[in-house]
Amino acid sequence: MVNPIIDLLTSTYFLEIAVFPGLLSIAILGALLGWMERKLTARVQLRVGPLYASPAGGILQMFADIIKLLFKELTIPDGADRFFFIMSPVTALIIGAALLGLIPFAPGIQIANIEVGLPVFLAIVTLSPTIVLLAGWSANSKFPFIGGLRALFQQTAYEIPLWLSTLGVVIVTGTLSLTGIIEYQQNRGWLIVPQLLGAFLFLVTSTAEMERLPFDLPEAESEIMMGWQAEYPGPLFMLAQGPAFVKLYAFSALFTTIYLGGYLGPAPIPPIVWFFIKTIIIIALIMLFRSTFPRVRLDQLLRQGWTTLLTLSIANIIIAYFLVVGIPVI
Amino acid sequence: MTDLAFLALATVTVTSSILALEARDLVYGAAALGIAFLGMAGLFFLLDASYVGAFQIAVYIGAVVVLILFTVMLVGPQLGEPPLELKRLSLLAATLLSLLLGTAGAVSSASAFPGPDNCGSGCDLVGLSSTLINQYGVQLEFLSLVLAAAVIGALTLAKTERKAE
Repeated sequence: MVNPIIDLLTSTYFLEIAVFPGLLSIAILGALLGWMERKLTARVQLRVGPLYASPAGGILQMFADIIKLLFKELTIPDGADRFFFIMSPVTALIIGAALLGLIPFAPGIQIANIEVGLPVFLAIVTLSPTIVLLAGWSANSKFPFIGGLRALFQQTAYEIPLWLSTLGVVIVTGTLSLTGIIEYQQNRGWLIVPQLLGAFLFLVTSTAEMERLPFDLPEAESEIMMGWQAEYPGPLFMLAQGPAFVKLYAFSALFTTIYLGGYLGPAPIPPIVWFFIKTIIIIALIMLFRSTFPRVRLDQLLRQGWTTLLTLSIANIIIAYFLVVGIPVI
Repeated sequence: MTDLAFLALATVTVTSSILALEARDLVYGAAALGIAFLGMAGLFFLLDASYVGAFQIAVYIGAVVVLILFTVMLVGPQLGEPPLELKRLSLLAATLLSLLLGTAGAVSSASAFPGPDNCGSGCDLVGLSSTLINQYGVQLEFLSLVLAAAVIGALTLAKTERKAE
């Protein structure tokens, strides 16, 4: 009776889901990314940042914050829709964690190695603005509702360029599988070289998808006071903040996988270390956007999304086409 | 394991579809519709059609449910009409229909759904797309023209309505 349970608990599959690259590592890395963001932003602004809660440089600050938030009172606003109000941050977190199940961290370390990893990743991502809207609506308050509607408007601006920008990679490699894309780069070098425009577009549109500055319109602290998260009490606020960091981790991992050769790298350093070196560089780059660019307005984002980004992503597909077929000699 | 997953997904899909029709609050209806689509996508994944599953999520939840929610939010979250007083009759009809469909499925399943071995070389995605472009290119263009005509028609209708006001 006990043996099957022990077998399940010690099986590789279970450990992959529960520990690494699954839930436990996502939670710890999410908290560490929070610290990293605050520290980096502080350095750019000539401050010190988190300092005290730590053996080194305030590294435990986010864990201290999590404990603090967990002990706050769980108040739910009057007239709020309790079901959606509580379920939305939980669902958003699940969506973020599901994304990481598709990423190949090293040969063999991947929870779900499916044939069509890339479109499945992007499809799961499309769920999150809906969740944000429901969260904003359920709070029965002005700022959250405005934030939720902004998330939907924003989605209409970036969604199509995001899908189209990855299409270039698919055309060049001829596969939709993330492992397949890495294997392609094994012999032919990183895809960021032939797909530079696509990589740029992916970086911009995924920043918009992650709702990070300069595209953090649904949260916009200085305009609508954290937008859809405004009414959340301590413990739920912690859950609502989580998906931002998990998605940052997931999108940087996807960027590393499809444009920077994933876990590929010279031999003495193991593949998984290569993967994390590249991913953390991308995360740092996206974090630096936050402290360098001002927030765009919604109309600017929509106009740029439907004109510049869309045109550039179609141009990128044409580039990918010529990369595969070869430039015709007239 | 697969059977259990199928049963769970089927239950979720059917229950949330009913909820999508019956919910008085339109937002709940739209959310239930989204969950029904998610269940459908799960069924596609079970059938090893993950490509279709991915696009089921992206198109139906990422676009259709979002549009419905958009409309509900912009019009105002009002309560819908109360359900019609045909509960007993509709329950009977639902039972009969599901019995009929279940019997039809049970009778036809052995012959109607051949295993994955039967599809030969035409199964892979590359083969499918090259067939679609090379053999059925003209038909594909016509289909897209029909879709474009539908979009243009819808735009025209929307525009004339606004002028009339």
